[in-house]
Amino acid sequence: MTETRPAILVIEDDPHLRMFLSTCLSGQDGWSVITAETGTEGLASARSAKPALVILDLGLPDMDGVEVVDRLRKRTGVPLIILSARNHENDITQALDAGADDYLTKPFSTAELVARIRALLRRASQRSWGPPRDVFQVGDLKVELTRRKVSLEDREIHLTPIEYRLLTALISHAGSVVTHRQLLNEVWGPGHTEHSHYVRIYMGQLRHKIEADPARPRYLLTEPGVGYRLCDDE
Amino acid sequence: MVSATSTSSHAPTSLHRPYRRAVGYFWGLAAPTLCTLINWPLRGQISPANILMIYLLGVFFVAIRFGRGPSILASLQSAGTFAFFVAPPIFSFAVSDTEHLIGLAVMLIVAVVTSSLMDALRSQAAVAAQGEQRASTLYRLSKELAGTRQEADVIAAGIKHIYSEFGLPNTLLVPDGQARLHCPEGDLWPPGMPDLDLALAQQAFDQGQPQPPGGGTDTNSVGTSLYWPLVGSEGVLGVWVMALPAHRRLSPEERTLLDLFLHQIVQSLERVRAAEQARCTAIRIEAETLRNSLLSAISHDLRTPLSTIVGASGTLVEGDEHLDAEHRQKLIRAIHEDAKRMSDLTHKILDMARLEAGKVALNRQWYALEEIIGSALRRMRKQLENRPVTVDLDNGLTLVHVDAVLMQQVLVNLLENAVKYTPEASPIEITAELSPKLLTLSIADRGPGIPEKFRHQIFDKFFRVYPEAPQGGAGLGLAICRAIISAHGGDIRVEPRAGGGSVFRLELPLTETPPDIELENEALSRP
Repeated sequence: MTETRPAILVIEDDPHLRMFLSTCLSGQDGWSVITAETGTEGLASARSAKPALVILDLGLPDMDGVEVVDRLRKRTGVPLIILSARNHENDITQALDAGADDYLTKPFSTAELVARIRALLRRASQRSWGPPRDVFQVGDLKVELTRRKVSLEDREIHLTPIEYRLLTALISHAGSVVTHRQLLNEVWGPGHTEHSHYVRIYMGQLRHKIEADPARPRYLLTEPGVGYRLCDDE
Repeated sequence: MVSATSTSSHAPTSLHRPYRRAVGYFWGLAAPTLCTLINWPLRGQISPANILMIYLLGVFFVAIRFGRGPSILASLQSAGTFAFFVAPPIFSFAVSDTEHLIGLAVMLIVAVVTSSLMDALRSQAAVAAQGEQRASTLYRLSKELAGTRQEADVIAAGIKHIYSEFGLPNTLLVPDGQARLHCPEGDLWPPGMPDLDLALAQQAFDQGQPQPPGGGTDTNSVGTSLYWPLVGSEGVLGVWVMALPAHRRLSPEERTLLDLFLHQIVQSLERVRAAEQARCTAIRIEAETLRNSLLSAISHDLRTPLSTIVGASGTLVEGDEHLDAEHRQKLIRAIHEDAKRMSDLTHKILDMARLEAGKVALNRQWYALEEIIGSALRRMRKQLENRPVTVDLDNGLTLVHVDAVLMQQVLVNLLENAVKYTPEASPIEITAELSPKLLTLSIADRGPGIPEKFRHQIFDKFFRVYPEAPQGGAGLGLAICRAIISAHGGDIRVEPRAGGGSVFRLELPLTETPPDIELENEALSRP
């Protein structure tokens, strides 16, 4: 592992976008960038170079993007961000359910991409080396995971068990998107993956408890058609 | 499969004729005899000249009822009986008085003249009746044909009426693209239709002449099928085929009637085809116009930012050393902004194309109203930074059954417009009203408002109130909104706002009942 200089693998067939990504990301946070043009090449690089994070374009010439996600996930839990030219949420959801951690639709801003990468790398390093997180804090929201205590501006908030499980499921992916299916699976169990309105109803209640203006949420953000994202960095 | 009943309706006149003639001659003999029986008791009181009048009456009656032959027979018979029984000397055919001879001659003339007149009258009446019947069957056919809009209906109506008139199975063979005839299928293939001689039909089609040449009136064609080409104004449209059984021939009248029927059918077919062609042309023209306006809009709206991008980036690539940092920064910013504009435009064009192609199946799910509005506001947060935006939802947790991605798009497009066309820092208000069957969402601004004459048009593709306005897009945003809202079965419109500005109002019917979900009530128990 290259802890000092994390390598980011970019699997993207368009030469200009590849160039742009490696130029932008090389300058950031001391990251190094390796690139691959095809799915096959990308999978090979992922094995040999052991990158700290993978950025994958869903529209590759030789292989379906979801298949690359699948094959990558069989071997490694490396953080994975997908890029999709299609704003069709089905492709994105499929890739996320297959194990990708986050997504961006083209065109995207560099700032956004960098923020996503940082969130994923931070979480990965916490998982590998840090003790399990016991406090999650963003803005006025504070969740003490060991004490199961949720507070807003130091005022304690009472959540129902489902609401709490929903919140902790989001905290475990803080900063990244979580699909409806993943939330159903983690909160209600594998039998409920088709009842996506459950998630939306409880999310609505949760918002009314922890957001100042539920119609303009600060923490519990909606990714339309895909899922939710807990903002971890204001 | 011709039934006896259907042929008999045409045969009666010819079958009854010999019988009617026999009855006429019988009356030719009987009427004078009857007159004699009436006269006999009166022979002393009335003069023979007046008795002759009674015979005249009898002859007149026969002439009216039975025509020339029987009336001449009646007058001769009357002459005989009159001479024998009435005119002196009685019981002798000798007639002593020459006056009576004149009377008998007049009687003969009356018989001939009256019967000729009556014959003429009767044949005129028969012609009129036949004409009337033909007119009424033709009328029925043309009435039904007039109501048809499609070729298959014309053919079906033709088949039906020809069958009911002639009692013979019949249909139309239509040529394919290579002018080869084919048997029709389904409803247009009537029951009882024998196998066809397609070669003969093709011959009729190619030559434009009926086959076999006699057209069913001569013995050549007995027991075969008849093929009539339908000759229209631009060539042969097809071949009408009629199965003729062995014992059946067509009379010249039937032949004429069939010609009239086919003529009607040809006209209707041509009318229907012309209408179809006109419709296709209209659609083509519309598509053409749309493509042209699309192309001109796209080329204008894409070229403008493109020229900035190409020009500015070219300057940076070639003449970098002559530029100071400030100018370089300006060029880079221009490239960035116009690239974003192009990206936005491309999105809209692709969205519109997707919606137009009808490929968008709504992915309806239950969403809290608040969530949809929230995600739209979040997407627009940068542009809305300096705007007071108030949100007033009846009950934000109300579940609505919509395609959230598309509904969010609608709100984003409306908010974008508000940002673009209303003064900076002017407020935007979002309100929702809920009734049991309807959700009304309003986005209200304090901009210049939309002139009344444009309030419908602004939802049309590529329409812009001020086409040359610098902030203008492609004129697709509202068209996309309308397409999405109609896909949801709702309605979108713009109204002037009291105190200035516009209100965009979306109405969505709430047809489904929200799903039940068991809610937990107990508070979280902490260890």
